[in-house]
Amino acid sequence: MPKHYRPAGKKKEGNAARYITRSQAVKYLQVSLSVFRRLCIFKGVFPRDPKKKVKGNHHTYYHMKDILFLKHEPLLDKFREMRAYEKKVKKAVSKKNKDLAERLLTRKPTYTLDMLIRERYPKFIDALRDLDDCLTMVHLFATLPAIERENIQAERIHNCRGLSLEWQAYISRTHKLRKAFISVKGIYYQAEVEGQKVTWLTPHALQQVMPQDVDYKIMLTFLEFYETLLGFVNLRLYHSIKLKYPPILDPRLKALAADLYALTRYADAKDRAIGANNEESELRLAQLQDQLPANEPGALMNLVENVTDDNEEDEETRACKSLFQNKTFFLGREVPRESLLFVITAFGGVVSWEGDGAPFEESNQDINYQIVDRPTQSHRFISRDYIQPQWVFDCINARILLPTEEYMVGKVLPPHLSPFVDDEAEGYVPEYAETIKRLQAAARKEILPMPGGEDDDLENAQNLLAEGIIDRTKAKEAAERRQKMALHEKQYHEELQKEMQGMQETSDLNADEIKTDGDEETDDTPASQPFIDDDTNMSMVSMSRKRRRLYEAMMLSKERKKANVETLETRKKNIEKKKKTSSD
Amino acid sequence: MKKEGKKLKEKVQVFSDSEDETIQSPVVSDDAYESFSEGDDFSKNSDSELESGSGSESESGSEESQFSEDENQDGENPSSEVGLSDGIDNFNQGDQSGSDDSREVVDESDSSEDEVAPRNTIGDVPLEWYKDEEHIGYDIAGKKIKKKEKLDKLESLLARTDDPNSWRKIIDEIEDEEVELTKEETKLIRRMLKGKAPHADFDPHAPYVDWFAWDGAKHPLSNAPEPKRRFIPSKWEAKKVVKYIRAIRKGLIKFDKPKEEPRFYNLWGDETEKSGHGLSYIPAPKPKLPGHEESYNPSLEYIPTQEEISAYQLMFEEDRPKFIPKRFTSLRSVPAYEKSVRETFDRCLDLYLCPRARKKRINIDPESLKPKLPSRKDLKPYPTTCYLEYKGHKGPVVSICTDPSGQHIASGSHDGTVRIWEVETGRCIKVWELGEPVQHVAWNPLPELPILAISMGQDVLVLNTGLDKEEQKTIADLLRVETPPSAPDDPDSVGSSVSWSQYDRYEGIRIKHFKSVTSVEWHRKGDYFSSVMPADILLIFWFYFSVLIHLLSKKLTQRLPFKLHGLPVSSMFHPTRSIFFVSTKKNVRVYDLVKKKFIKKLEAGVREISSISVHPGGDNVIVGSKDGKLCWFDMDLSSKPYKILKSHPKDITNVAFHRNYPLFASSSDDCTAYVFHGMVYSDLNQNPLIVPLEILHGHKSVNGRGVLDCKFHPRQPWLFTAGADSVIKLFCH
Repeated sequence: MPKHYRPAGKKKEGNAARYITRSQAVKYLQVSLSVFRRLCIFKGVFPRDPKKKVKGNHHTYYHMKDILFLKHEPLLDKFREMRAYEKKVKKAVSKKNKDLAERLLTRKPTYTLDMLIRERYPKFIDALRDLDDCLTMVHLFATLPAIERENIQAERIHNCRGLSLEWQAYISRTHKLRKAFISVKGIYYQAEVEGQKVTWLTPHALQQVMPQDVDYKIMLTFLEFYETLLGFVNLRLYHSIKLKYPPILDPRLKALAADLYALTRYADAKDRAIGANNEESELRLAQLQDQLPANEPGALMNLVENVTDDNEEDEETRACKSLFQNKTFFLGREVPRESLLFVITAFGGVVSWEGDGAPFEESNQDINYQIVDRPTQSHRFISRDYIQPQWVFDCINARILLPTEEYMVGKVLPPHLSPFVDDEAEGYVPEYAETIKRLQAAARKEILPMPGGEDDDLENAQNLLAEGIIDRTKAKEAAERRQKMALHEKQYHEELQKEMQGMQETSDLNADEIKTDGDEETDDTPASQPFIDDDTNMSMVSMSRKRRRLYEAMMLSKERKKANVETLETRKKNIEKKKKTSSD
Repeated sequence: MKKEGKKLKEKVQVFSDSEDETIQSPVVSDDAYESFSEGDDFSKNSDSELESGSGSESESGSEESQFSEDENQDGENPSSEVGLSDGIDNFNQGDQSGSDDSREVVDESDSSEDEVAPRNTIGDVPLEWYKDEEHIGYDIAGKKIKKKEKLDKLESLLARTDDPNSWRKIIDEIEDEEVELTKEETKLIRRMLKGKAPHADFDPHAPYVDWFAWDGAKHPLSNAPEPKRRFIPSKWEAKKVVKYIRAIRKGLIKFDKPKEEPRFYNLWGDETEKSGHGLSYIPAPKPKLPGHEESYNPSLEYIPTQEEISAYQLMFEEDRPKFIPKRFTSLRSVPAYEKSVRETFDRCLDLYLCPRARKKRINIDPESLKPKLPSRKDLKPYPTTCYLEYKGHKGPVVSICTDPSGQHIASGSHDGTVRIWEVETGRCIKVWELGEPVQHVAWNPLPELPILAISMGQDVLVLNTGLDKEEQKTIADLLRVETPPSAPDDPDSVGSSVSWSQYDRYEGIRIKHFKSVTSVEWHRKGDYFSSVMPADILLIFWFYFSVLIHLLSKKLTQRLPFKLHGLPVSSMFHPTRSIFFVSTKKNVRVYDLVKKKFIKKLEAGVREISSISVHPGGDNVIVGSKDGKLCWFDMDLSSKPYKILKSHPKDITNVAFHRNYPLFASSSDDCTAYVFHGMVYSDLNQNPLIVPLEILHGHKSVNGRGVLDCKFHPRQPWLFTAGADSVIKLFCH
């Protein structure tokens, strides 16, 4: 057959040749649909949107090149091999050929996804860029129960948990966490790793709802890829801070489910070892670390003095690191320990908790803040503040130590605001966001000349709040005054204008007798509104259709946004009104 | 533990131990166990009632007493040695009446030969023969053996419960006595049930002893010579060995376990750029970041009120908000999010099932999309405000026309009148009551001939306005039809179908057509005028006669010497040259009247053309359409519109150019008139500049119609508009 031969009815170019539907692709690759799906997930092949859908609108189309790309994938052969192997085992078992079956079981074909990761993410930064979904999924599975029916195995859950904690340990160790937000869905974190913003969601540490209509096979396939990816990423990150990976953890802490703390300890231990030029094995070090007195907050401080680190760190990291510096926290029993441990250490604080394996006791005098989440606190130390966990998150997002009064035990908390929203772009700034902004501004101005004492800091912040309130009232008054002035001025101008117009009107009347007074009025005042519309209409007339449509769409979205803001404002007004009536 | 003075019972008692079920149907096939098979037979007839013997001495104990316990007890009791004999053969004679034949216990033998003959001599006869008898058989002396008294059920049960050894008691039905099995016997039974040899010391797999003496035999069993294969190594084995050796050498068979490689390694060790497979990779869009409303403790204004939440239920499924904010007072009260797995799953589906395409997201100010137009102040003067209204008509004013000097304006209305107004004062000078709705009015373009052409029904009237007193004579001459014109020789003339006659009611000429006339247009020299009759499509003949050109001085009519394709809407004379425009519903056709040639077709690409106007320069044409579009044609450029302005939401009724100023206007049924700046440059390389200037409001909508006509003042930048509300308005700058 000549090389250029093309069967009749086959297209050579154009959309018909370039894109094929999914069922065509499956047939072309000679695999089952489930294998095709796995392959697509591993290889990151997705359907594309051809300009012209040859087979109809209800099909998914794959690019022919993508499918060829799958066709030459060694994994495809591996899948085929595995299928053949399974058949062999089945046959041996059903023929009661026990020897053969056993021998086969020792030679089960396996595959790795390493090269696929390299292929999909040629550079490390690419992997970081695509890490959001990976982290969210791994963190979710770390909280799921192992279900045999759905083939969710316990070891995978453990692996997920390990991976997620390793990641968190790295982030908190290098102080790369930037934002954290408690939402109804879970806790969102945003870190900045090598210039890439990585955002992930961890569900609340509670029993998760497992819906029946979810295909866990697909999720597990994704998870398989993500586990491998996160493993490689973690290794790379750990090597970048000169730690061995996978970390060897203190078995005692691990048994107490304080893995994260164990990991941070591990990191610290390694760091100290480097400082002392000690070339002992990690295991020994971890053991050594374990023998050291647990009550040693200075361990973390050693790291801060590391000179090499300082050079590499940018401004923001330094700011993050010093937010909770020299502050000691104690977590209550009811507080989500893991997330707070992660967050506070990421911002330079020292944490302990109520329970086994804690570095220090509740009675320790160095504790500045005790985080509790209960209606009342019976026994209190005077030297520390008893605050609710939201304070930590709000402080992180504001990057200042907020006054603790509003966050005390039993108080109604101020609203928790999302750090991911650009309020100005959204068009609506919540009241508390403004308060925080004012506090931030005050902190920037005021703290600089002051010597950085810890206790003073706190008081400062409180003072600042008070000042802020005073300022605000002042500003309000001033604004009102200004408004009044403006009003007067406006009135004056209007009067002037009226006089002028009156003059004109009389002259016009002289010239044109037929003109009726009613007409004039309509021309002057109410007609101004349609004239504004006229302006927009007029410019619309000379636009091309494409641009007009675009303009209209943009205006529509703008209006929608505006409507949202308006509903918020009306709600706020109503709430205030209710408050006033209730207070009266 | 054996009770010597026990009565025999008719029944074999079954084991009451937990092992009962297994024991009930033992499979005994060996001859050696005949005695048990007998006992087994008895157990089959175990329906008969239990009889209580002298069970009063029986020790109380639980039925379920364990076997091991019994063993211990037996071990302690020296009397167990007696029980080594076969239990079935053991019986008590104490109660036997007249029978003294107690037998010796045969030691350590269970073979059938050794068995002592039974006391009952009835032999192997069915036992039911003795069912109704007093006796159960005969002893060896031929005396009857009496049946024993039976215990009733309750008593037997009590006896059984009291007796800890009841589980090992069986009833020999032939002898009619109860037999208690010894420990050894139960052991035997147990081994047999397991399928083993009854005695533990019996070795079933003893080495074979060949009792045949081979050595001394004279003749061997086989005298064949030893075969060769016993001396040479196997070829096939060698082959197999070679195969294995090769496999080992190749590394197919490994003996040492593979080394444990670290699972992860530095994958991005060498950052060499690897080329992709040629297709652009489109990264998946990141999930949306949470806003304030997703907080566990949002500010109060983010939480919808109860009414709003119930209003969501009325919305369409797609419009309904996916997430309804909630407020929790403290972190501990936040529950697990029920949709977290679901949402992650949906995200997975999106990642591998959603087609991805790059979309350009424009982040620009929408105002920048508007074209940069010269400021309107620089383009003054143009009509902006309504200065005058001409009121008087009773019906919608369909057509207006200014006289060439600009002092007067004529208007025709559906109320059957034509009025002439003084422009500056708004005074109505003249009213002609014509009786029929007027379609179109047109002034003669010559200032010295103040004649008005009016189309009305099937007639075209040419009337003397009488405004110019000096030229009255010539006008009167012109408007006199003396004789009916003779039949013309010219094939183009259509004298037969159109009749010229004097109009009796007012001074003027009446030209009667065969169809209703929609529009009348004058030639620039004021002698010719054209009339348009939209003909029925079915009458192809009329295509030739739908546009007529009349010559006033000679009172002649001739048809357009071309075939029209489509329904004519209006016609227009070129302002300088002898070119004639006819607009049909789809396009505009341009003819040269002198050369009698079709020049051009202008394709507007609109639904239905309603009006046409020619720029005073003559190279540009604007066309208004019934879908509200205004097309500007540059005749030198193309036959396609240079620009299409979509200005009006409703039909455009008329378009007009100003004679001196670079202005043009369009009027529409949406009660507005647009004024545009339309500059045509003498430099041919420069495209005309079109700027929308003003939207003129003021007319009211009547029966869905708005502004019906618009005309510019010939000298001033003023615009007249005629509305369906029977008002004419003058807009000045």
